[in-house]
Amino acid sequence: MTAPLGGWAGQILRVDLTGRQTRTVPTSPYLPDFIGGKGIATRIAWEELAPGTEPYSPDNLLMLMTGPFSGTLAPTSGKGTVCAVSPRTLPKPWFTYGGMGGNWTPELKYAGYDGIVINGAANEPVYLWINDGEVELRSARDLWGKDVFETQELLKARHGKATQVICIGPAGENRVVSATVHHRQKNCAGMSGFGAVMGSKNLKAIAIRGTGAVRIADPAGFVEACKKVHRLVHAGPTETPVRMQMGPTNVPCAHACPFGCATRSHDVSLKLGSKGGRKNIAVMCNGEAYEGGWKWYQYPTPDMEAEYTGELRTRAVDGLGKQAGDELQLQIEALGLSGWTYLTLRCWFLACLDHGVTELEGLELRPTDVDFWIELFRMIAYREGLGDLLADGLLPACERLDLPAIVKKTARWLEPMWGFPSHRDGRACEPQPSPLWVFDMLHWAIDSRDPLASHHQTGYIHCWFPPHFEGGSALVDRKKLEATFTRVFGEPGILEPGFEHLDAKTRVTKWFDDRAQLKDSLLLCDWVFPRVLNGFDSAEALQAADDYYGDIDAEASMLAPLTGIPFTSADLDRAGERIRNLDRALQIRNHGRSRVVDAAAEWVFEYPEKSDGSKLDQPLFDRILDSYYANRGWDLTSGWPTRAKLEELGLADVADELERLEGLAAPDRGDARPGPEERG
Amino acid sequence: MPVTNIPASSVVLHKQTLCRGCRICELVCSATHDGACSTQLSRIHIAADDFAFAFPAVICRQCKTAECHAACPYPGRALCIDPDTGARYIDERECDGCGACADACPLRRTPIWEKTGSDPRVYIKCDLCRGIDGGPQCVLMCPWDALTYKQKRGP
Repeated sequence: MTAPLGGWAGQILRVDLTGRQTRTVPTSPYLPDFIGGKGIATRIAWEELAPGTEPYSPDNLLMLMTGPFSGTLAPTSGKGTVCAVSPRTLPKPWFTYGGMGGNWTPELKYAGYDGIVINGAANEPVYLWINDGEVELRSARDLWGKDVFETQELLKARHGKATQVICIGPAGENRVVSATVHHRQKNCAGMSGFGAVMGSKNLKAIAIRGTGAVRIADPAGFVEACKKVHRLVHAGPTETPVRMQMGPTNVPCAHACPFGCATRSHDVSLKLGSKGGRKNIAVMCNGEAYEGGWKWYQYPTPDMEAEYTGELRTRAVDGLGKQAGDELQLQIEALGLSGWTYLTLRCWFLACLDHGVTELEGLELRPTDVDFWIELFRMIAYREGLGDLLADGLLPACERLDLPAIVKKTARWLEPMWGFPSHRDGRACEPQPSPLWVFDMLHWAIDSRDPLASHHQTGYIHCWFPPHFEGGSALVDRKKLEATFTRVFGEPGILEPGFEHLDAKTRVTKWFDDRAQLKDSLLLCDWVFPRVLNGFDSAEALQAADDYYGDIDAEASMLAPLTGIPFTSADLDRAGERIRNLDRALQIRNHGRSRVVDAAAEWVFEYPEKSDGSKLDQPLFDRILDSYYANRGWDLTSGWPTRAKLEELGLADVADELERLEGLAAPDRGDARPGPEERG
Repeated sequence: MPVTNIPASSVVLHKQTLCRGCRICELVCSATHDGACSTQLSRIHIAADDFAFAFPAVICRQCKTAECHAACPYPGRALCIDPDTGARYIDERECDGCGACADACPLRRTPIWEKTGSDPRVYIKCDLCRGIDGGPQCVLMCPWDALTYKQKRGP
């Protein structure tokens, strides 16, 4: 298309590290179909990423992407997406995504770029310095080995305080599969191991300074739309039916965020990096868990005990206390490691002790001792002893350790799908009452990583359900809640527990998944958008409301005046669906994705959900997946998108290529499905 | 015009202890005045320190002494005083970009005077959102009540 009037910068920066060359390519060939962020990155991967590309191959593409909203007034628009073939995913490396907030996406847009696509590998440590139109690869010999805080401080000292820095720590340099791509404090694309990909390319950091602007097609219309949406989301994320009480320590984790919902900053008297005392900012649920622990890891719960017959048992994780919890968080972060690793490992080490495993590779397990953890994470980042094994991931480490079967199975329980920690599936970790875990199960089944980091909107419906595990209000009227969903989606029974109204439930799951793709492409915060449910200023306002509807047209209402393209919500739904189907095709072509691979997610849902005991068996899982595939327009046997669906979405070229592929080989029968002995 | 004859002005005040560094003020400022979102085109600047969690702001004080006005070669034509709010503002049609106002300002050489990515001849400064419904937009949109609009008393 011709260049739109606003929103996009209009060009993408391409960096070839092997040839040490940079160039720009226009964004327009990807517009408006692929929106930005994950959408454009997935299209580039479809066009350029060869099947079989290994995560540490120079041919792997590391893409750091913004979206049309990045750098603008749209609330929570400070989020970015990172995409590449991941070294972490199981049963094998495949293309996936990660997100982070901060201030780098606006800076990149102001410098004039919609994203950075990096291929090749440098023959010595380098960093990328983007100063508006001037782009340079510089030696990073002096930065190599430095932690993520030192690296950022050194580059800010060199290039100016306003410079925004993305970098890796020692863990990324040493190719630890849970290494982060880091930015500021606590902003990181952490789960997918992209820090290791960056390290394999010898790319230590990206420093960005941009002094330009994001153009707006209809400024008055855009400001007016943004004001409305700011009022809509004023109450905080949909986690909270009633406005969250933000204290003086809440700091937004991303540019243009009006709440700072899940953050707290406070002083920590800890010597780290080049400076002395540092403030810690505890972000989100895992930040809290370091200090206060996480009771959710207990399985079975006391309520389930009488009925439970399985052998899997895990204990709640206790907190380390404020000081030690903060210290450990900062140490892990400084090394450039994902903070989630600690929680899984801690719960697993408790299980090790319960089953008589008191040491591993000569290291005594002391999971209640903060010094043990600080030493262990140093060993992981520098690949020493047990740390070297765990640096490849918990499940691969288990395969190489001599352990009782139940200990290995507990590891699988804690990281049940694709090598990622349990998250809102209602089993090993947080409760998720029926039917909400069914929605989450389907997200897990078809995604390439833990999807709930991108689908919080589905995960958060439970905050409106009694017994309100977190943030919810006892004042929520379940009937009004269900009526809101019925009105928005045109069908009753969506939130009814159990497996009735299955077609409506899976159709709504599809909508949420499509909107998650869209949100990762625009880009906006998934704690806030899409806004099916409102947030209320007070308990009285919540009680007085006839229904709880937010505004699912909020995204389109801002995008149209920003870009000058008359986007409607229907257009955006279609764009989200297009991006999901393109991702599906890529997973099929490059990584052998199929129904068999999706079904590897099933075993964990045979265990009872921890708050209401609901569960399924394989025939029921198959029935649910059939329903979901049918709503998606995917072939029920193979799990591949049909030609009709791809053509409907304007992806005829993708259909052609899949058809050629189908002639070559039957879908991969997959090695992801656990054998019968591993099943619960 | 002698300094003493310049009327007092309303002013936007920033409270650093309440600011959280979201930079929505900068974005609405540039979108409203320049039709683009940019921290560089903004008349308010949050000098955020990402590691100290400190968010000091640079914002026009609409000084009683109005050095900018005194320094302007065309006072009352290029650097003007708004009769209603008292805002010291630049009439961009009349400004020839000499920079005398910016040089005379106690906040000179801060980002609030630099207009990059646009016409470099024209300087920018806070005009208290002259002619815009609702008054200063940064105050209107600040989620933290860190910005307040202190209106002058009387004419």
